[in-house]
Amino acid sequence: MNSSRQFIAGAALALLCAGCETLPEETRPLARDSSPAATAADRRAAVPERDRVLHDYRTAAKALRAGDYDEAKARLDDAIARIGGIIANDAEAERARGLFSPESTKVFIGEPYERVMAYYYRGLLYWRDGERDNARACFRTGQVIDTGPEQERYEADYVLLDYLDGLASAKLGADGGDALARARRHAAGRFALPDYNPAANVLLFAEYGYGPRKYAGGQYGEQLRFHVEDSPSRSARLVLDGGRRIVPLPAYDDLGFQATTRGGRVMDFILGNKAHFKAAADAAADLALVGSAIASDTARRRDRRGKDDNDAEVAAVGLGVLGVIGKIASAATHAEADTRQWNNLPQRLSFAALRLPPGTHLGRVEFLDREGRVLVSRSQPVKFTVAPADRDTVLFFSEHKP
Amino acid sequence: MNTTSRLLLASAAALPAFLAGCASPYAGVSQPAGAPVVQMRPDERGAVAGTGIESQDMVTVTDRMARSILAIPQIARAQVPPSVVLEPVVNNTRFPINKDIFLTRIRTQLNRSAAGQVSFLDREMMRTLERERELKRTGQVTASADPRGPSEFGGADYFLTGKLDGMTTRTSAGTSDYVLYSFRLTDARTSRIVWEDTAEIKKQGLEDAAYR
Repeated sequence: MNSSRQFIAGAALALLCAGCETLPEETRPLARDSSPAATAADRRAAVPERDRVLHDYRTAAKALRAGDYDEAKARLDDAIARIGGIIANDAEAERARGLFSPESTKVFIGEPYERVMAYYYRGLLYWRDGERDNARACFRTGQVIDTGPEQERYEADYVLLDYLDGLASAKLGADGGDALARARRHAAGRFALPDYNPAANVLLFAEYGYGPRKYAGGQYGEQLRFHVEDSPSRSARLVLDGGRRIVPLPAYDDLGFQATTRGGRVMDFILGNKAHFKAAADAAADLALVGSAIASDTARRRDRRGKDDNDAEVAAVGLGVLGVIGKIASAATHAEADTRQWNNLPQRLSFAALRLPPGTHLGRVEFLDREGRVLVSRSQPVKFTVAPADRDTVLFFSEHKP
Repeated sequence: MNTTSRLLLASAAALPAFLAGCASPYAGVSQPAGAPVVQMRPDERGAVAGTGIESQDMVTVTDRMARSILAIPQIARAQVPPSVVLEPVVNNTRFPINKDIFLTRIRTQLNRSAAGQVSFLDREMMRTLERERELKRTGQVTASADPRGPSEFGGADYFLTGKLDGMTTRTSAGTSDYVLYSFRLTDARTSRIVWEDTAEIKKQGLEDAAYR
């Protein structure tokens, strides 16, 4: 009889150990990328392959805001080379689908709104280099990524992707009317999208606010959720010629809206099944352990009465073993959703096209709150040069510091 | 064995069956491992593939175009090798590409396969060439011929250019991309299109469920 009691004590210890959790994914450093001594290449090499695209995304956004366009292009091209293909029969993806590995085991490519932004940024950089058709290609791929094929009622609904697609076509001498009509349909009367002006030689891309944050919800963190904190900056404008010319930069797209309205993922279904298994295994193990304790108690009482009950002892040990196995299986099951995220994205995207004479221009970019008041501390002086030829001058303004 | 023990043992027997039944978290997910990209033409495909424009497509298309151009009478039976200027390819697909690579490969294929049958004018070098001519004319560098004579820069007999058009379908069954590559040779004097050819490639694939 002592043996069954010892076994139950051992089972309790095993349960205690099984309850130990690994570090949540978000608390792990992505790489030692803050070391001042390390070169950019060193820092990239230190990034695990599965996080490489994430590192590319973040570095590209920083580089873009710092005006280091070559670095931004290099990082975005590196990311697009990975996210642009079809990932199938991939061992890490298979592990991520399995019971005993978290979703973050897979190579990160990001949720659709993150992948769209990689193409959006690369598109504006292509445009800056005079490659309007490649810029348009990026905007078109963004639209394809934004469609929700698993829930076929979700169609791409970025305003700017369609608007820029049409503008690029118009500037290439083609008809951008269909794309403009789609953009206006997505805008749904919230704001008026201007007609294309093929003579516009300055393209302003602006971004402001803080992008959505991922977090894991549900009993086991199996639900990927997004936190969207509405940023104070609700719109922006470019002020030129000492205030005589004001170019509005309204928020055409909101990444918070995009992240939260695209519908569920197949992976959510898989994670839900993992969570179900984890809960069921845990409950079954509880049942088995309770049964083991009852059987043990019965055997003990019969033992005191001088009756031998080997059956109860066997049942106690058997149920105890199963209880421990169930607890271990439950603890080893990882249902956590992947919350790795492109954490320096903006919330709102804006654009304007205008015609300016070649030469140097001075002005300031102002960000406005909900009531249209200027957020003075966020305003930035700007100085830019408009190219003399018929090449477009592409300007990028971000509320975020590099 | 008393009733309690029998019940407990029955529960014990049921537990593994219960756990086994839950063992596959993606039961019910169609093609959880995804489907590898299938190229619709019998071309070689690398291990890493997408539905976009890839190197094997470029090789296939440019080889075909180079062979096709050499077969036309304006090139094959020309008394004097015609001069051709390459104009940038227009990309109407959803895939950003290095556009120069198509025409560069067609040019090198033509130069390799039919040396002397056709010549290409290097318009990308025009600024450099004009500057060099100016240096010769001002005597700052030597010249093998009189630099003050009429311009010897060649004029184009034909312009070779191309266009890439695409169509994408994306459903729960996967992503499909069709790309039409069309190239044409235009007579610089008459504006007539003397040659045109197309190649088309369609690919489809389905991502792993972990990415859907």
